[in-house]
Amino acid sequence: MRIALAIGTFFILLIHGIVFYDQFFHRWERNQTAYFDQARAMAKSDAERAALSDRKPRIEQIVVSNFGETRVDRCTTCHIASDDPRFSTYAEPLKTHPYSIAMGDVQKNGKWERRHKFSEFGCTVCHDGQGRGLEPKYSHGEDEYWPDPLLGHTTQDSWRKDYAPKLKGKEYLEANCAQCHTDPGFAGTATVEKGRKLFFATNCYGCHRIEGLSDGTIGPDLTEVGKKWKLDYLWGRIADPRAILATSIMPKFNLKDDEIKALVIFLKSRKGRNFAETEIQRYKVKLTGGAELVQATIKPVEIKPAEMLKQGEKLILDRACTACHKLGARDGGIAPDLSFEGSIKDEQWISAHFKNPKSTMPDSIMPTFRFTDDEFKAMTAYLVSLKTAPALTNGEATYKALCLRCHGDKGDGNGPIAIHLDPFPRDLTKAGFMNSKSDTRLVNSIRNGVAGTSMPAWGKMLDEEQAKGVLAYIQTAFTKEPRRELKARQIPEKNPIAMSAESVARGEAQFVNRCAGCHGKKADGKGPNSLDIQPKPRNLRNARFVDSVDDRRLFEAILYGVQGTAMPSWIDYGLNNNDVGDLVNFIRAINQKPKGGQNAGTNQ
Amino acid sequence: MSPAANPIPPKPGLLTALKELPKNVWNSIFRNPLPSNDLEKSATSFTNFFLHIHPVKVHKHSLKPTYTLGLGLISFFLFVILILTGILLMFYYVPSTTQAYDRMLDLRGTVAFGMILRNMHRWSAHGMVAVVFLHLARVFFTGAYKKPREFNWVLGVVLFLLTLFMSFTGYLLPWDQLAFWAITVGTAIAGYAPVVGKDIQFLLMGGTSVGQEALLRFYVLHVAVLPAILTLGISIHFWRIRKDGGLSRPPEADATPALEFSAPAATMKVAGPESRKTYGLQGLVRGPITKAGQVPDNTVFSWPDLFRAELFTFVITLSAILILSLLFNAPLEEPVNILHPPNPAKAPWYFLGLQEMVSYSAFWGGIGIPTIFVVLLFITPYIDRAQTGVGKWFAKERLLANTIFLTFVLANIVFVIIGTFFRGPNWAFVMPW
Repeated sequence: MRIALAIGTFFILLIHGIVFYDQFFHRWERNQTAYFDQARAMAKSDAERAALSDRKPRIEQIVVSNFGETRVDRCTTCHIASDDPRFSTYAEPLKTHPYSIAMGDVQKNGKWERRHKFSEFGCTVCHDGQGRGLEPKYSHGEDEYWPDPLLGHTTQDSWRKDYAPKLKGKEYLEANCAQCHTDPGFAGTATVEKGRKLFFATNCYGCHRIEGLSDGTIGPDLTEVGKKWKLDYLWGRIADPRAILATSIMPKFNLKDDEIKALVIFLKSRKGRNFAETEIQRYKVKLTGGAELVQATIKPVEIKPAEMLKQGEKLILDRACTACHKLGARDGGIAPDLSFEGSIKDEQWISAHFKNPKSTMPDSIMPTFRFTDDEFKAMTAYLVSLKTAPALTNGEATYKALCLRCHGDKGDGNGPIAIHLDPFPRDLTKAGFMNSKSDTRLVNSIRNGVAGTSMPAWGKMLDEEQAKGVLAYIQTAFTKEPRRELKARQIPEKNPIAMSAESVARGEAQFVNRCAGCHGKKADGKGPNSLDIQPKPRNLRNARFVDSVDDRRLFEAILYGVQGTAMPSWIDYGLNNNDVGDLVNFIRAINQKPKGGQNAGTNQ
Repeated sequence: MSPAANPIPPKPGLLTALKELPKNVWNSIFRNPLPSNDLEKSATSFTNFFLHIHPVKVHKHSLKPTYTLGLGLISFFLFVILILTGILLMFYYVPSTTQAYDRMLDLRGTVAFGMILRNMHRWSAHGMVAVVFLHLARVFFTGAYKKPREFNWVLGVVLFLLTLFMSFTGYLLPWDQLAFWAITVGTAIAGYAPVVGKDIQFLLMGGTSVGQEALLRFYVLHVAVLPAILTLGISIHFWRIRKDGGLSRPPEADATPALEFSAPAATMKVAGPESRKTYGLQGLVRGPITKAGQVPDNTVFSWPDLFRAELFTFVITLSAILILSLLFNAPLEEPVNILHPPNPAKAPWYFLGLQEMVSYSAFWGGIGIPTIFVVLLFITPYIDRAQTGVGKWFAKERLLANTIFLTFVLANIVFVIIGTFFRGPNWAFVMPW
């Protein structure tokens, strides 16, 4: 017992010893002592030496109240020589903060004078980091919980290893410079400006809103993105959006590292209110919704009828359509090829698609741009004029020129842009599907397209023979299995059940019971089971598609299923023609357009 | 200078007074010299303020470390450490949403001993929750709640709940993401109570969400209201231990060995007049251990056995807390960001069992089952009236009671472990490795 007591007491004393040692022999004290020693050695006069002798190590701090919330910066406790020009060649922490003309520092009589005095600005206003701490780990923001590690200097352990080295560099500090220097032409924030330009050039503005700059609604609002997220996250969201959020619809843009860096720096500078704004300015922007500023950023072009085509072409390029689409040599690698748009779409379709992409393709990820009607007209006119077809010598060449971008070089529907398309391109290697459809039907799909989806009508470019050639190539190269004789199916040509409120109600009950698991309660193809199904269940609220298929085809799909997909044959589950008739009426009913032009709600 | 009317004793010289100064000061504080006989041993216990809450003599069984495991004492010492470190922390803390987090940074970075103080407070708080619960389990498994200790058991359960609440209110004070969301989750669990749930939630938070009002309320509860109640409760708890006849023990522990003089009597040195009753005051106290004279029994003097055991427990507790505080820093996460909840947001670990159960059923997990458990705890001594199996760990006679209790305890521990280690984003089951 006595020994145990002695050991316990010893531990208590020992730990007290360690704690006290820690408390009274700080690293910063050693730094300061070293500084005093060095400075004494450099001193030129006795008075200077005496003054230094009087200085004892102490916690230095700068209280900054001019910039937002009051900050307490104790950085100079360690970086005590930051304002002493004699230490410019020393190593950190005893190094002079560099003087620079670009920063506005001036030399008078051989003495530098700072534009940004530390006594007024402190340190963290520009550098971030945590001013209150005295331990490098915490003050530099190395611990993963600190939201603002030293900009462009400190990376945290939790950051992705391949990104971390790219997140170092002085340019990142510009994000903080831009908190006061908001003028786009300011020389010190060139990278922020580059990022701002890229924000428009790569079409970020189409989806994202930044107060006063853009008003996209598809993606998250980025007005305060720099305040919320660290560099690592910003880089990751741009460089590889789906690595962070698997369900993100944000395309992976074809950007070089220095472009991503500029965008990250620009986004890091978006902190909602910056120091240059006043409350009243902020309020004014809020009143107008930033509309004036948005329009000032994207200036409307006056369209002259004589130069319509030219202006349309310029607009398409200037407004960064090719950040996603392909047009000639330019290719964003995200959206379909526009190079021969005039041959596959008409003016009406293109114009409608411009004004509201979802009106022609309900699941398109293309944002709605708020350009003027005249601008849309010019851009439409230009696209309609693009009718130069590529060389279509045989089936294979045609496939490669027209189909590969979506259906992929293996024909499995995994083309380069496929992940951005909804519905997903058909997997042409699935013999179950391909062989359950007649040649006529498949050629029809090629020549007339599939309404409401990204599959265009190739009829103007491919005649019957050419289309058959492509189909033959697909069947031999991808489907491979030999064609089989199709079994005869008993399918009514017309829906035997007349459209009525009762029939629709019966159909809805039937739908909720049997179909909603995959097609979803809203019939939008997003039911709980849909996540594991490929191809995805059809969106039955896609009015363009539903209107384009006749009753016979709906009956066939429901009664006999769709081979090669998860759609079962409902005859096997006891549905008869009358049940299917109700279902078809229900599906038609939810896609009926009232005079307003909107899709009708469910018919209750 | 002394008045002439009082000539005796003769006035000592100044030199003598100075010479005897240390001794006199010492003697004025400590009335007794280190005891060398029974009379002095008992006098030491009686005349020292800090020792007089102890009995003069204590049963040998109560000193067995394997019986109590010292858990009650450890809880008390942790409470003392918490009070002391807590008061020191109060000098720096400001219960304001704009300043609290900055003060935490100051404590971590700049304030002398700030980090170790905060660490000690944090780890003692977690430790106290755990140890108080273990103490409760010990008392249950040894059947110590039985008559005449029913009320002290009830009081103990109240103290346990207060400890939880104490820790819970302290959890919010750092005002970081961890604190904010844990309290948001914790108060939401309270909100699941029927009828009054939402009102309790509102009363706790002083609003519909955790904010300045909640911070202030939690602070006042944490530093004033709850410590006061807890101190009072602990005092009564201790007082009742003596009034209920010391710690519980099996009946056979009281069996008098056949006329064999117990150890203290045998080693007794005759110092004062032998016929004088040593425990005169105790003779007036009613209760099961009242005795006078030297009746042979299984007790020993508190000095030094009990006090040494207590000192030992204290040293062990303090060492453990100090070592923990040196090795592990109390967490401090991001400043509060109301728009950006962590996924998953977790309650403090001792409520994670509840949160885990809430994920199955809000009412049953958060309110129903915990209420049943607490009510069972309260009424156990009034239901389980058999006097068998007291004072023995896992007595066969108490198999049913112990099994029921153990089931609840194990279930909660399993849920706490699942909630702590096996729950990832969206409360989905994940492997911790």
